[in-house]
Amino acid sequence: MLSVKNAAGGYSKDLVIKGIDLTIQKGEFFALLGPNGSGKTTLFKMINGQVPLKQGEITIEGKSVAALSKLEKAKKVAVLSQEAHVSFDYTVEEIISLGRYPHQKGVLKKLSKADRVIIDNVMEITNTKIFQKKQFRMISGGEKQRVLLAKALAQEPELLLLDEPTNHLDIKHTFHMIDLLKEWQQTKELTIFAILHDLNVASLYADRIGLLHDGKFLEVGDVNTLRKEGQLQKVYEVQVKNQSHPTIPKPQLLMTPDYKTEHEPVNFHHCYSVTQNDRLIHIQFSEPLRTISNGVAGEGLEWVTHFCNYHVDKGYDCSTPELDIRNWMAEDGIPCEQAVAMMTAVKLDDMVLMRKHEDGMNILAMVTAGTGNAVDISAKNNAALKRRTGTINTMVFVDAHFTDGALVNSYMSATEGKVKALQDLQVKDPETGTFATGTSTDSLLIGVTQKGIQTPYAGSGTAIGKAIGGIVYEATYQAVKKYLNRAGNQ
Amino acid sequence: MQNLFIRKFLANKFFWFYLLSGGFVLCTALLGILVSSVSVPVPHIFYIIINNTFNTLSYEDIAPNVEMIIWNIRLPRVLLAFFVGASLALAGAAFQGLLRNPLADPYTIGVSSGASLGAVIVLFFSISISGLGTFTLPVFAIAGGFAALLVVFGLVRLSSRSLAIETIILAGIIVSAFISSIVSLIIALGDRDSMTQIIYWLYGSVGMRGWSHVQLIIPFMIIGTVILLKHYRELNALALGEDSAENIGVNVTRGKTWILIGASLLTGSAVAVSGAIGFVGLVIPHLVRLVTGPNHMHVLPLSMFTGGAFLILADLLARTIIAPKELPIGVITALIGAPVFAFLLIRERLGRRGG
Repeated sequence: MLSVKNAAGGYSKDLVIKGIDLTIQKGEFFALLGPNGSGKTTLFKMINGQVPLKQGEITIEGKSVAALSKLEKAKKVAVLSQEAHVSFDYTVEEIISLGRYPHQKGVLKKLSKADRVIIDNVMEITNTKIFQKKQFRMISGGEKQRVLLAKALAQEPELLLLDEPTNHLDIKHTFHMIDLLKEWQQTKELTIFAILHDLNVASLYADRIGLLHDGKFLEVGDVNTLRKEGQLQKVYEVQVKNQSHPTIPKPQLLMTPDYKTEHEPVNFHHCYSVTQNDRLIHIQFSEPLRTISNGVAGEGLEWVTHFCNYHVDKGYDCSTPELDIRNWMAEDGIPCEQAVAMMTAVKLDDMVLMRKHEDGMNILAMVTAGTGNAVDISAKNNAALKRRTGTINTMVFVDAHFTDGALVNSYMSATEGKVKALQDLQVKDPETGTFATGTSTDSLLIGVTQKGIQTPYAGSGTAIGKAIGGIVYEATYQAVKKYLNRAGNQ
Repeated sequence: MQNLFIRKFLANKFFWFYLLSGGFVLCTALLGILVSSVSVPVPHIFYIIINNTFNTLSYEDIAPNVEMIIWNIRLPRVLLAFFVGASLALAGAAFQGLLRNPLADPYTIGVSSGASLGAVIVLFFSISISGLGTFTLPVFAIAGGFAALLVVFGLVRLSSRSLAIETIILAGIIVSAFISSIVSLIIALGDRDSMTQIIYWLYGSVGMRGWSHVQLIIPFMIIGTVILLKHYRELNALALGEDSAENIGVNVTRGKTWILIGASLLTGSAVAVSGAIGFVGLVIPHLVRLVTGPNHMHVLPLSMFTGGAFLILADLLARTIIAPKELPIGVITALIGAPVFAFLLIRERLGRRGG
């Protein structure tokens, strides 16, 4: 469809584009990325025939762009750029009709019936029909861009060139607009060549991307090219972290700002407050912690300030636990977006709170334990579980700086500590009589301050991993003992 | 089928606009011929016009001097007023579309000042080239207008490759200012007599010109009108800006050149036969656009009709207000045009605030 061979050119003697090769297939969505000044717009204009080539060739369906007349080109290629200024009070319909210009025939060059059908069609698709009689100047920015898109589509192009078409649009209009383009691309085999500023939008919609740097392609490939953080950092000179989109397998990039908030080193054990009553243990930190957890609310990887452990009765109807816990937090004035909450039927009086402050390591652990539900994970035939009270809720807070991997590592270390404690107390799966490895509904949370030097590991081979496992072991041991004592006394 | 077509035609508002403006032209033309110190019954007027156009030689009860007044004085005067008004309004509409500025008028790019200079030179030096006779002045004026256009084009070409709008306006202002100062210089150097003559010419008039001037303006008017009407789509496309126009297939540079040539032909010839009559080219297209919307397919022809009729009316006022003396027609157009323009501006703003 579009082929760029060894193209070079620019406005003055200096070359802005320094030799580029690119082939775009019919029906492909290609996104051109790169920082300001990398030559995106120049390459765009070279493809559009506005900037002459100094070297090489650009062809559209085998025909050289330079050799095409304006009219011939407009029949194949439409352009949509940033919001345009329109003089005089043209109506939306009149603006869209301009898209038929290259196709009008005859002496009078009036709009034919076929033209009208196409205009009607694109107005329908772009949802602009409702304000077709309104003046273009009076409609909102998002509507304007949709009208200009309708005009471009009225040209019935085979290739659509987009120059940051969503620059002035909010996210709603951005996504509506590109969704529409994507649909047109898929149903009508429209080829799209787009300059996009937003790397994340490009990742979600483009089939292929090209990363332009200083007039040359650094790389051309599918959107997974965006996972190469080092490359992006070199081009954009911004700290970039790549993550996957939570629901679709595409990379999303997170930018880290350069400014730092300097804090005076404070004692970790002065950074939190613990309040406890019959129904709630609430640990509040002065700053958010990087947290990995499987709490009832706020699960997963988060930054969290409030850590809650709610007591429920043995007969609690647990059909909507998350909703209930959110309501309770709202009643207690705890912002649930910044909180992780767990649930237990164990008496909160039996909580074990353990602090560790040695070898430069600061750790706080909170455990409430009940073992009525104890389960041996390796034993068979207990998948259909009977609801009995008793769960082990563990919270571990560490003054350290973990990578995501180290966070998972520490999760393992804490679990191993718990299992070891149950083993030493000889807690057994009531169904099979074998040693239990946990209860059926255990919750675990690791919160890290992310201060100090970053550590990539926190397993049992490291001091910090051992410390975490150790404190969880001790705290669980005591908590289970308390539970067993209370159970024995009743 | 035929019926449906006609009904659809009648339902179209533009049909009524054309009918209305056409009727306006006929009414003002008739009024222009009718109103004067010597009253002639309407049937006689038609009779005289038909007789003279078809050369049927049978006028019995009409006095030859009445026929002289109608055929040789009033009719060419009305026609000239119509042609000049139509030319200026059409050129104004085209310039406004081309320069994407509703405040542009046919005099923005300096063609009229060039034409004025040509005419002033003829008046000042009392030049009369044998063979040209009374055509000496208009021929010089048209030549002056074209010389000014060439200078403007040259300036634009030298300073910008793509005929940028801003450069065209700037070059026009520079050339206009320069030529105006030369005209002022000539006026200052002249004696009282030629000064009055020059100033009166500069104010503009369509009186006492006769058929020769009508014949002179017609070819320019036809060529200019055809050129501009042919480029109505380009004028529409330019509303989005030149880059966007190019992207939908418009050859912008060629289009702009043709529109400039067409509008300059109209302006130059109008100024040459009648002097610089202001405000027609500014107000009329603006007014038309308010009624019909900005589509040049309709703005251009309707501006022509309305502009022509407006100038017939203005001329009628000019010669009747202080009859038997005449006011310069440019004074009338400015006296009517400026308040109307101000009113339109205010009304538009108020309307916007309301909506």
